[in-house]
Amino acid sequence: MRKWAWLLVLALAACQPKHGEPLQAKVRFVPEHPTVGKAEVCIEVDPRVEYTRMTVVGDMTHPGMIPVKAEAHPAGPGLWRVDAFDFNMRGDWVLTITAYDASGKKYTKEVRLTVP
Amino acid sequence: MRTFDLLRVPLLGRFLRWRYSRFVLQLPLLLVAFLALYDGFFGRQLAPKNFATVSVWLHYRGFLVLAIAVFGNLFCAACPMMLVRGPTRFAKRFLPQFRWPRRLRNKYFVIALTVLYLFAYEYWDLWASPWLTAWLIVGYFGVAFLVDAFFPEGTFCKYVCPLGNFNFTLSTVSPTQITARDPARCLTCEGKYCVNGRVETAAGRKTAREAGPAEGVRYPGCETRLYVPEIKTNMDCTLCLNCLRACPYDNVALRPRFPGLEWLRARYRLDVVWLGVLLFFAGFMNALGMVPAYYRIAEGLSRLLGTRNEAVLLLVIYALWIGLGAGLTLLVATLADRLSGVRQTAWKAVRYWGTGFFPLAFAMWAGHYAFHFLTGWATIVPVTQQALANLGLPVGEPDWTLAALVPENWLYPLQVGILYLGLLASSYVLFGRARQRDHFLAGGVVFAYFFLLVALALWVLAQPMEMRGTLLLPPGSR
Repeated sequence: MRKWAWLLVLALAACQPKHGEPLQAKVRFVPEHPTVGKAEVCIEVDPRVEYTRMTVVGDMTHPGMIPVKAEAHPAGPGLWRVDAFDFNMRGDWVLTITAYDASGKKYTKEVRLTVP
Repeated sequence: MRTFDLLRVPLLGRFLRWRYSRFVLQLPLLLVAFLALYDGFFGRQLAPKNFATVSVWLHYRGFLVLAIAVFGNLFCAACPMMLVRGPTRFAKRFLPQFRWPRRLRNKYFVIALTVLYLFAYEYWDLWASPWLTAWLIVGYFGVAFLVDAFFPEGTFCKYVCPLGNFNFTLSTVSPTQITARDPARCLTCEGKYCVNGRVETAAGRKTAREAGPAEGVRYPGCETRLYVPEIKTNMDCTLCLNCLRACPYDNVALRPRFPGLEWLRARYRLDVVWLGVLLFFAGFMNALGMVPAYYRIAEGLSRLLGTRNEAVLLLVIYALWIGLGAGLTLLVATLADRLSGVRQTAWKAVRYWGTGFFPLAFAMWAGHYAFHFLTGWATIVPVTQQALANLGLPVGEPDWTLAALVPENWLYPLQVGILYLGLLASSYVLFGRARQRDHFLAGGVVFAYFFLLVALALWVLAQPMEMRGTLLLPPGSR
């Protein structure tokens, strides 16, 4: 019984969320440190991989806030861009970038930043 | 009005009298707790998209203040943590039993735990972490089990649980209260069963203590040791309705009431009043922690103290704010006493005037929680869908655009309305107490103090939100 209890505790303590297929990408912002308002989001990916669609969803870290969604558009080889991503509140943001390749396979990347 | 009794309402009354009614109320919250644990540990670690954080920090808190305002302390009645009672009754057969230390039979221990909890909430950003929120639930159940296993039933609720005591304090604004239908009947009650419990044995009716382990049908009495005809306040009442089922004379009522009378007539102990004072200032701090001014204070303090250690800065901010609140309250209450010609200790002055903080504390938390609840109430739908989908249930694609209940520009006027109502209720208490001393100005002094606090609170609530987990920005990022 005690062994099972310990196993349960270890399992709970060790469990972390599973991530999907990771997206290998570099994410930049213009301006470099976004403030409240619109900012450009540039996503640099491996140009050899052909992505057909890319979305950016921004969530604040507090529950209950409405996410901000934007569709990125291709802006050159291996470069996708959201021209005016709306950081509508100060605070911690989590951007989830989701890309789809030609076969419909999904790749995701999470970027955390603080908007002062 | 005096004769209306919610326990006599057809169906509702019958349901509440049923011995398993509390279990029926607890079961949904237990399932919510299980789902929160599952999603908190195994779901995506993004607070707005996780059932643990959304259900605990948005809906539980929102529904809690709503229930207190329109009915009573429903969330203590439906508390799933009290379902540890079955296992602890079994464990009690083998474990040594202790009495709760006499020195801790007050609210000071709870005050300390509440401050500790609020510090942890800010320092570890519990609201932003599904994983930590899940551990908080585990910890809460664990502590409830341990305290209940080693100490008399009700000890956890009355002397340990910060959440329960938060509910107790705020439920002084509730429009219902347990009372005796006919107080005269209680005078001739041989067993005071509502507080001592009732056991119907083959040898006749006995209290739980008299019956000991004897066979019989058992109806436990009030776990927080409230004697129904003497109840003048909702403080310490979990609304479990044990009293209703234990009373063999069907003499327990749940009546509507005007809460202002409780604030005027009840003589709260000093520790209870301090809990009310703390909850106001803590509620203020909780709201302040989400606006830019708070971070500017932290940056300034960091430069002043020469440290970027967030624990130190948080401790200093909390100590200063709560210390300032306690100090000012002592000062203003003493001044009001002197003005009304009463010379007593500052502690007694706080006991007399501090009651006015109860409606204000409720308004502060209700105003803050209303904002979060109303801006994101519908997010419970997609997070529940997602959590259930993770369990393999076919629940459809979550719609993450679901969020607000009311237009955003309604929120601040609503918060202003709630705080004004709180101030109005407080002024009723303060001027009522001033009238008892036949000195209007004394009440006016405390009212001016409350007015300033409310003005400050309204200023905080009017600020743009800044939801940050870190107290200080990394150097060069601004």
